[in-house]
Amino acid sequence: MTRKFLSFILLVALSVMACAQQPPAAPANKAQSAPPPVAPKTHLKIGDPAPDFTLSNTKGEKVKLSDFRGKKNVVLAFYVLAFTGG
Amino acid sequence: MQAYQSDIAKFDATETQVLGISVDSAPANARFAEDIKVTFPLLSDFKRTTVRDYGVFSEEGGYGTRATFVLDKDGIIRHIEQGRTAIDPSGAFQACSIFTKKS
Repeated sequence: MTRKFLSFILLVALSVMACAQQPPAAPANKAQSAPPPVAPKTHLKIGDPAPDFTLSNTKGEKVKLSDFRGKKNVVLAFYVLAFTGG
Repeated sequence: MQAYQSDIAKFDATETQVLGISVDSAPANARFAEDIKVTFPLLSDFKRTTVRDYGVFSEEGGYGTRATFVLDKDGIIRHIEQGRTAIDPSGAFQACSIFTKKS
């Protein structure tokens, strides 16, 4: 009888220990998640002259930034890979 | 890009040319333009020189990142947006309507 009682106590003690160890495990997993990707910061500042470029449009024609100088304001919208939205 | 397209009339009204730039090839951009029906030019920076000049190229990832630069008629940068807010054209539009009124 005493042995049975002792083993019961041991079982209870073990399950309490097992439960107590679970909570700290969860935050540890969270901390291991990957850091967010770092986007490069431009070195250009407001007031800087915009670097000129000549690039092909979708028809293969060359478009030169400085051709708009004195004629139009220009919004340059840099986007990440086509078909990704934005 | 769709957001810029839907606001294109506003940009036209302030004598502003919108240029989309990515490191995709010209044929890929052509498909993209067709799919989302843009009327402004999408330019291909396949050699990644312009994205580097503007500091919007991720050397690690090998791709350009989202950014918007607003230039005045003299080619001077008047407004810069980077990251998630660069998707929304309202900031860029506000910036160019403000300095268009000034000039």
